[in-house]
Amino acid sequence: MEANQRPVETPSEPSGRDSGSASPSRYLVAALVCSLATMVALPLVVYFDLANIVMIFLLAVVLIALRLGRGPAVMAAFMSVALFDFFFVPPRFSLTVNDGQYLLTFAVMLAVALIIGHLVAGLQQQASHARSSEERTQQLYQLARELGGALTLIQVDEIARNYLWKEMRVRSVILVPAETENLLPVAHDGDGTLAFKIEQRLARMTFATAEPVEFNALSEASYAAYYFPLKTPTRVRGVIALAPESSDAALIKENHPRLEALSSLIAIAVERLHYVDVAHAAQSDMASERLRNSVLSALSHDLRTPLTALVGLADSLALARPELPPQQKETAEALREQALRINGLVENLLDMARLQAGTVKLKMEWQPLEEVVGASIKLLERSLLDHPVKVTIAGDLPLLAFDAVLIERVFCNLIENAAKYAPPGTVVEIDARRSGDVAEISVCDHGPGVNEKSAPGLFEMFVRGEQESVTPGIGLGLAICRAIVEAHGGAIGVTNRPEGGACFRFSLPLGDPPSIEAESPVAADAGNIHGR
Amino acid sequence: MADNAPRVVVIEDEKQIRRFVRTALEGEGCQVYEAGTAAQGLIEAGTRKPDLVILDLGLPDRDGVEVVRDLRGWIGIPIIILSARTTEDEKIRALDAGADDYLVKPFGVGELLARVRALLRRKHAIAEASDPTFSFGEVQADLSRRSVERNGETVHLTPIEYRLLGILLANAGKVLTHRHLLREVWGPASVESNHYLRIYVGHLRQKLEADPTQPKHILTETGVGYRFQF
Repeated sequence: MEANQRPVETPSEPSGRDSGSASPSRYLVAALVCSLATMVALPLVVYFDLANIVMIFLLAVVLIALRLGRGPAVMAAFMSVALFDFFFVPPRFSLTVNDGQYLLTFAVMLAVALIIGHLVAGLQQQASHARSSEERTQQLYQLARELGGALTLIQVDEIARNYLWKEMRVRSVILVPAETENLLPVAHDGDGTLAFKIEQRLARMTFATAEPVEFNALSEASYAAYYFPLKTPTRVRGVIALAPESSDAALIKENHPRLEALSSLIAIAVERLHYVDVAHAAQSDMASERLRNSVLSALSHDLRTPLTALVGLADSLALARPELPPQQKETAEALREQALRINGLVENLLDMARLQAGTVKLKMEWQPLEEVVGASIKLLERSLLDHPVKVTIAGDLPLLAFDAVLIERVFCNLIENAAKYAPPGTVVEIDARRSGDVAEISVCDHGPGVNEKSAPGLFEMFVRGEQESVTPGIGLGLAICRAIVEAHGGAIGVTNRPEGGACFRFSLPLGDPPSIEAESPVAADAGNIHGR
Repeated sequence: MADNAPRVVVIEDEKQIRRFVRTALEGEGCQVYEAGTAAQGLIEAGTRKPDLVILDLGLPDRDGVEVVRDLRGWIGIPIIILSARTTEDEKIRALDAGADDYLVKPFGVGELLARVRALLRRKHAIAEASDPTFSFGEVQADLSRRSVERNGETVHLTPIEYRLLGILLANAGKVLTHRHLLREVWGPASVESNHYLRIYVGHLRQKLEADPTQPKHILTETGVGYRFQF
């Protein structure tokens, strides 16, 4: 692709750069100028002192230094002295000198010519350096502006490629990290081929070390021999691979600062595009999260409303006065139970959807565990009519940080499970103690226990202990428990007790509870021993 | 219906829910007025001189919490709100705005009547000269004498525990939010220190409940606050 675009003429070299290098025509011009000076001076020799004739030669040297550079100026200095001696110093038209004092004149004239020539040529060179670096800065600015307007990585790559080709005859491509560990060219589309090959090892090394890597020997084999990291303050965003047209190592060396500036400009552009992407993604995440939330809450409202009516209506039928015949009353109660069951399923499904969508924000507060245990037991009063509950909470259990509503849900699910599977009249035991840096909580029953082989699967969605069990329920309860416990940084599991029955255990991290200032015992009942 | 029958305004947009609530309340001997929107509900509440308002928080025309605030602005009667389980924050806002109690949908007739009775009784009790003696479980408390006894033995309460018990007793049957209790007992600067409240409630349970892990009187409304029940 680039081969077609290659311009025929060589790029214009900055003028200052070669001013000192040998170029015969310049010396010829210098010689001509000196001769011209002699011809101008010849007719004047009758009117002017020889000292003033010297000035004409010095002027010539200055002009030569100004226009033609240092080498010709040096030559002109010597030539001027020679011409002055030959044409003007008596005996004229001979290199011999009668008066010894002219030797001083020659020496001073030569020295002045050399110094002036040197200074002028140096100045000239600096000026042209300044001009060309100004030009480069301009071009970098231009590049920065273009990069600032780039909307895609491909555009960035194209801008960099054009710049490098125009300025340095260097082919380039930007490589960005892909999902594999390789770095892929961003413009690897279209005709699908690059004019040069990429050595992945070098690219990866550049990416990893954030330092430029070069391997000049490669350039022969039409590989990109130079790799510059695209470094930003936060991280390396990619690599730019360079393949100079000529294998002249000096070219890259000389342009090193420029290439570094270029890489950081590109890096900034790449990073900007990255953050644009991130912002876009966050925006669409937010939008979809809002949608999910509103769907969930609409669903929950829409399902709950008829269920509430159903439960209430069935209830009022069951409690109707005059009392219904027993059979119909039973039917009404069954209706109520079934409606409540549907409600339980709906709640579970919605909870799981919320937990899975990650939209649940934990309301972590430091609190004693017994409170939430008590609340759960109270909530389950109806299901626990046949199952006394024994709660043992270790006295040294500190305050724990958790979301009370969610942990209540865990307890409710576990206690309800226990009540569901254990035979009536058996005790449900809740135990909590500290164990290392976690609180270990268990809910145990005297039921048939679980099949230990399938135990871990119990916490997956839609799995129940026994196949085709007659006990109602859908395998979401334990999955919800797991999601909640894991969200708190704990773990949940189940074992069978040696004496029979299942033990569901979960842990909550202990953390660092806030200190409680004791009440200052100054007021009314100061010093009294606490009751109980 | 007798003139002294309690009047209840039910503000709920779902007709079938209104219907069973009405049936249940009428069975209790209440006079029931229904409203399907907040606007109509406020009119009913203003004209019927109700003894109790039952308000759904999810009304189509207005935010339920605002309705609570409006009602509280001009009538002192008890308000029971109906809400979904997962909307703790809304419940708390409604309770802080002045609602007395809440029912989570779906709720049974039994639950509904228990709450209604408790609040109507409370209203009655306040109307009569308030009696400083309370008795629940094994406990006798006489707030006028600052004495609390359990099975005839004196129970020593710290000043904070005593103040907390006093507020719970005075608001028996009502749900008190964490924020409300903290403000009343510790002052307005402490409304963020929920763990203090929880610890002191724990102390009271230790001292007054038969089984502190399964309290019968000082009940937890998880995520919301506490309720005292005789």
